Amino acid sequence: MTDIKKGPVSGSKPVAHVTIADRRQFLIGSAGLLGAATLGMGTGLGVRRARAQSRAEISFASAAFFGKETFGDLIKAFNESQDRVLVKNIELPPPSSSTEVYQGLVQQLARRTGTPDVFSQDVIWIAGFAAAGWALPLDEYFPADKRSAYFSGTLNACTYEGKLTALPWFMDSGMFYYRKDVLEKHGGKVPENWADMATVAAAAQKAGDADFGYLWQGKQAEVLVCDAVEIITSNNGAILAPDGKSSLINQKAAVDAIQFLHDTVNATKISPQDVLSWDEEPSRQPFTSGKAMFMRNWSYVYPIAQDAKASQVVDKVGVAPLPAFPGGKSSACLGGYQLGVNANSKQREAAIELLTWLSSTETQHRIALNFGLAPTRPALFQDEKIKTEQPFMASLETVFTGATARPITPEYAKVTLALQSGISKALVSGNVQAEMDTLAAQIDQIVG
Amino acid sequence: MIAAATVSGIGRPRLGKALPGAIWAFLLLTPAFVSLASVSFYPIVNGLYLSLTNTSLITQENEFSGFANYVQLWGDAQFWNAWWHTMWFTAASTILETVIGLGMALILCEAFKGRGLVRAAMLVPWAMPTVVTSKMFGWLFDGQNGIINYILLHAGLIDQNINWYGSPDTAMTTIIIADVWKTTPFMALLLLTGLQTVPNSLIEAARMDGAKGWITFWHIRLPLLMPTLLIAGLFRALDAFRVFDLVYVLTGGGPADSTETLSTLSYKVLFSTLQFGYGSAVSTAMFVTEGIIAIVFCLYLVRQIRRAQ
Repeated sequence: MTDIKKGPVSGSKPVAHVTIADRRQFLIGSAGLLGAATLGMGTGLGVRRARAQSRAEISFASAAFFGKETFGDLIKAFNESQDRVLVKNIELPPPSSSTEVYQGLVQQLARRTGTPDVFSQDVIWIAGFAAAGWALPLDEYFPADKRSAYFSGTLNACTYEGKLTALPWFMDSGMFYYRKDVLEKHGGKVPENWADMATVAAAAQKAGDADFGYLWQGKQAEVLVCDAVEIITSNNGAILAPDGKSSLINQKAAVDAIQFLHDTVNATKISPQDVLSWDEEPSRQPFTSGKAMFMRNWSYVYPIAQDAKASQVVDKVGVAPLPAFPGGKSSACLGGYQLGVNANSKQREAAIELLTWLSSTETQHRIALNFGLAPTRPALFQDEKIKTEQPFMASLETVFTGATARPITPEYAKVTLALQSGISKALVSGNVQAEMDTLAAQIDQIVG
Repeated sequence: MIAAATVSGIGRPRLGKALPGAIWAFLLLTPAFVSLASVSFYPIVNGLYLSLTNTSLITQENEFSGFANYVQLWGDAQFWNAWWHTMWFTAASTILETVIGLGMALILCEAFKGRGLVRAAMLVPWAMPTVVTSKMFGWLFDGQNGIINYILLHAGLIDQNINWYGSPDTAMTTIIIADVWKTTPFMALLLLTGLQTVPNSLIEAARMDGAKGWITFWHIRLPLLMPTLLIAGLFRALDAFRVFDLVYVLTGGGPADSTETLSTLSYKVLFSTLQFGYGSAVSTAMFVTEGIIAIVFCLYLVRQIRRAQ
């Protein structure tokens, strides 16, 4: 079903000739580091293999991201940086085909063959992978002092039943885009309250300064769940109770929040009815072509908005935390990718070595500059080079700090389908309370 | 006979002389049978088996559970919602495509200048990959910039843009229109071959007796075309019942589940939530419904043929 392109990326060819001396040197040098697995390779049946290639071979699978380089280039750089581990890159589809990436990964992990040894994962898969016993707990390799270097929100999302089963890699979150020039004419202050936002947006729309006041994503798809998490949390509500065993989506806080989204289309009319069929890109296009005043979207929009070839609003776009309800706190939905180790990996030490390298300050720095993906280490937001080359990241630090994870449950795949369908029904029909009651009953049945 | 011909073609192997023709025939058919069994029979049987278990990749369960999945299916509002949408899509698209296709076939049957070109051009929509068609219709019916809204607005038929894919009232209709555009040529082609088997002498004889065009169609062409119509309709209905790509690309099943079909539902249950047991029950239910549709068509076909005799 999913095409998983196997095979090494061009350039990362295995070392073909290694002399016996090299091998001996290697065995001595790496015995302490690599442990029994590698030693086993050097003796008995493993001898011939070790002669051809005296490095621990592991594989890395990830959704394909692109920037000034690819993840293939990154793996190549790792392979060149040391001589103990050799990584084969398995490229999965791009993250826009998130479902396909998930399926590709699950099919491999479910076989329990140890391939891929290391993989990258969306935050919402972590609990499922951990519950299925596919993800290696990482607590012993990354003790508390090493973990403190990461944002606490992403660390929480990486933790399942008290165990760290993933390591933060790079992050993304929902954010509030606004048009500086239009806002100047209508108060000049970025709204921090949803009601204020609606008032300002409606005023700008009425004055003809924007075709649309506020754009968001209402398509029956994963992104709708993200929009819902943000607005519900910003009203002090939640989708699941803290213990994860029951639903809170039919409580007043959540219902009022969804009602607000419904009203943007039907009452305040600051959003076109089209948002109900729009996911990220269809909602991004009117904004970067200068038709809208406010928009909720991910961080990928900022570089596009600043690119004169694709945008009519270069230098006119600002980014801020999303508004909140009175008494609530701005909330951004946590996105981004985390790293995991296959519990069946036969090369644990090598896998941990790759993991450590990929999530290190240096590599995250490189990813921030070359891919435009935000680091999961707060310290890097102070980096001068990142500040100059990716100026939007610094202004987003506050957004990232408080990012909220989607429900953490091994049944997330079922929960999200129910949420997509139930919230879509509420938005279309306007019977928010009734639809949320039905939805809550469904979710209780799934997670209870 | 086939076997004998093949044997002589191979170049008189000694083995060939020793084996009777029937065995050779079986041997030669074996590869085809094995490949058919592995890609067709095995998945069906395996699907049936899985539907009787609680197999799930996430919970790692894999136990026999009898008819529990089917009991759950019976009470599953989402399944019935998808079932009705699928039936509605199948009926609407098959009927529209048969009627419009028949009209096209009747036109293409006449001799006119450039007929070859028209016949070839007609096939373009059908030859296009469905994903491309889907994207194209996505843009045509786009709520903001779609040309359909533009035309309707300027013709004065609507006073504000319609959000075709964002409203449960129009989303399914729009998908049906896309399917009709894509698959009508296929129906036209099938019906055209049927029409061409109607002996011209019959029609000419009717004309000599003074029958007008409409009467020759109603009393001669249509009855003779009936078996072809039924078979073409059956093909189309079975294919329409499996609709996946149009829905997946255009709406993903939304808004408010209004375009969810059995294919998209079983895809979600099987590959997103990884409940292989329950997902197999959904696809088995699909298989059974398709079987019933096929039987109804076949019974009707047999009756038609009997009546003709």
